[in-house]
Amino acid sequence: MILDLLAAILIASGAFFFVAGTVGLLRFPDLYCRLHALTKADGLGLALIAMGLSLLAGSAAEILRIILIWFFVALASATCSHLIAAHARRVDRERTDD
Amino acid sequence: MKTRSETARDTHAYPGPSTGLVVQSRKISRAELARRFLLRLVVLAFFWTLLTDFRSDALVFGLPAVLAAAALVFLGPAAPNWQLSLRGAVAFVLWFAVQSVRGAIDVARRAFTPSLPLHPGFRTYRTSLPEGAPRILFLNTITLLPGTLSAEVMGEDIIVHMLDIRADLEADLHDLERRVATLFALTPETKAQS
Repeated sequence: MILDLLAAILIASGAFFFVAGTVGLLRFPDLYCRLHALTKADGLGLALIAMGLSLLAGSAAEILRIILIWFFVALASATCSHLIAAHARRVDRERTDD
Repeated sequence: MKTRSETARDTHAYPGPSTGLVVQSRKISRAELARRFLLRLVVLAFFWTLLTDFRSDALVFGLPAVLAAAALVFLGPAAPNWQLSLRGAVAFVLWFAVQSVRGAIDVARRAFTPSLPLHPGFRTYRTSLPEGAPRILFLNTITLLPGTLSAEVMGEDIIVHMLDIRADLEADLHDLERRVATLFALTPETKAQS
């Protein structure tokens, strides 16, 4: 019962950070600032939801699987945002050269 | 025209082993290569079986994928054997957890504040971390720190995008660099020589 409540609180705060990331994505002025919002806020959002779901998980394998998924998503999101930013800077440079 | 010269600089700027920190790496022998292949095979097979809930029929796809991925160790230049310090790793994970919470709260606060408090801009930081795993970890962690995002790498210079350009980037990244060096059991060159 307490476990369910704790899980619900974690998942709800995770969802809050996803909303924050989306608000940032919509309100921030340029691509680079938007990447900040997505990587950081969504990253914590996923971590909180993963923790909440781990509390509800039925087996150790399920918990390990959730941790593994969180780890790979975190790795991919940081790497992707770096690649997107690097590409945007390259395009910007080419544009100013023309 | 300028683009071409800049790309040339990009490829040129990697000076090989970094000067700031020394890595205690061994030369890679054939036995070592086989050992790495087996290690990768076991770790990847474990990941696969875990993700597929230990289903044996999923191995139809898993076995070739795991073999191919592990065989990548034979292609390309061999990475040096990084040593990890366990104490450094535990300290790093804890510190990282706190920082990523701070980073997310910071960005959420900025997003929800009606006046949108941003002073974005780019700054450059020169790293002394060696190429490979330490530098990749450094770059990825910068992105999860409050207010910073690793935007581009030019040799040893890292172009960092900041939500607030007035923050003390130098101090924060120097601290992070030290933590990554501790995690990989790297010692400053001056120390190693004395």
